Amino acid sequence: MATTPTSKRLSLSEWFKTVTFYEILVGMKATLSHLLNYRPVTLQYPHEKRTLPDNYRGMLALLRYDDGTEKCVGCDLCEAACPSRVIRVVSAEVPDEPTKRYSKEYYMDMTRCLFCGMCVDACPVDALGMTREFEWAVYDKRQLHLNKQQLLAIGDRSFPVREKRLELQHPNVAFFNVAFKHVPPKPN
Amino acid sequence: MSEFGLRLAISLTQIAAVMGIVIVTVLILTLAERKVLGWMQDRMGPMEVGPYGILQPFADAIKLFFKEDIVPAGANKLLFTMAPILCLIPAFIGFAVIPWGPNWKFEVNGISVTPFVISDINIGILYILAFASLGAYGIILGGWASNSKYSLLGGLRSAAQIISYELNVGLSIVGVLLLAGSLSLVKITDAQAGGFWNWYLFALPAPQIFAFVVYVISSVAETNRVPFDLPEAESELVAGFFTEYSGLRFAFFFLAEYANMVLVSCVAAALFLGGWNAPYPGTIMALLGAPSLAWAENTMWFAVKTYSFLFLFFWLRATLPRLRYDQLMRFGWKVMLPIALGNIVVTSLAVFFYNQMK
Repeated sequence: MATTPTSKRLSLSEWFKTVTFYEILVGMKATLSHLLNYRPVTLQYPHEKRTLPDNYRGMLALLRYDDGTEKCVGCDLCEAACPSRVIRVVSAEVPDEPTKRYSKEYYMDMTRCLFCGMCVDACPVDALGMTREFEWAVYDKRQLHLNKQQLLAIGDRSFPVREKRLELQHPNVAFFNVAFKHVPPKPN
Repeated sequence: MSEFGLRLAISLTQIAAVMGIVIVTVLILTLAERKVLGWMQDRMGPMEVGPYGILQPFADAIKLFFKEDIVPAGANKLLFTMAPILCLIPAFIGFAVIPWGPNWKFEVNGISVTPFVISDINIGILYILAFASLGAYGIILGGWASNSKYSLLGGLRSAAQIISYELNVGLSIVGVLLLAGSLSLVKITDAQAGGFWNWYLFALPAPQIFAFVVYVISSVAETNRVPFDLPEAESELVAGFFTEYSGLRFAFFFLAEYANMVLVSCVAAALFLGGWNAPYPGTIMALLGAPSLAWAENTMWFAVKTYSFLFLFFWLRATLPRLRYDQLMRFGWKVMLPIALGNIVVTSLAVFFYNQMK
């Protein structure tokens, strides 16, 4: 018992508090008061959900223009900006349009993503967005390796109202931008 | 039907009834504990199974029933299997002498039946203490047979702890026995009839308040409950003596702990809080003109006292952190034991002079 503090004489009130378990009774009063004024802080999660803050950074998604054209031009800047090497872009020329490119394949390994949002910042054409989805628990990690179709689907789901048409963009952006017409335009 | 057969049938019916009540109480406790702890900690407790989670005990039981039952390699298989049963039997066997209600007798074909106590033996409390200390074997053997260091440490701690505090339980109730002059729980309860001032907690000539405090603390330690849950100590010993147990075997330990809690509460109610006696003289049922229903009122009081004591267990668990091992031992031997011994001396003197004056 090397750590025992040197014994000091208890005052009468201290002694009385010790023998009557005063401190324990104070603690028990505290717990009982919580029982009597019962106000739970719990949220019954799957049934009721928190309102997310406006700047919540959830699942990443690829976005489209109003007419269904993909925004991504395959510039690889998101891949370069990503600190944890989540993104892999395979870009290709748009057929018959030698100045324009698009992302032929686009992969995200969401097992490594730390949702920093740097890829979204880096994107010059706003092709990447952060949605407010967060329920992405899966049984198999491989399900978190997302390809382009899945990322576009997330984008379509999370941003049903899409941004302005390609033609209305700033001329400079519009010139270098996708115009990959192989994607069928939105009906109507 | 032969006399023996009739006796057997009556006894088995009583045993089945008491076992049923105890098991239902244990089921209620497993839910109530989680709920009360949750409420005290501003949580909700189980909410998913059934409305407000009231079917949670059944879900737990089904889960434990279907879990894989593993016997670790190198374990002593016989003792490993026996340990939970050795824990469970002493916990249940003590209920044989607990008087649940008024001390009635009636005759069936010349055989006297006592409906509210399975067996009124004249060494009732001694019987309970003897079997309660047997429960330590289950824990120690479970820890030892598991072939795991953590289990062994839990079992060893439990051995020292249960022996130390069993002593205090035994000594703390000596005062009551001196006042009652009997070891039979039925006689002790009967002696406390007629209002709460006759309960041995307050009774003249020697109120057993100190003995009651010692009993409460020691019984918490004996049932391995927080703050004396050193045999389990999940933050330092993984899960203590039942680390290697799974499935139904683990459930037996769990059941035994809760059955022990109920038993200890029943004994506290019977010895210190007047058992099934109401805290006022007479019965309300008699005043209402239904004296034949007085047994219901009395049994209700027994249940109220037992459940209040069980609530105290939950309350302590929600409040206190675990004691260190040396603190536990020092507290048991240097504080509880002298108080219990002093109580015996004072009570003996008080009883002696009281009898002289009469």
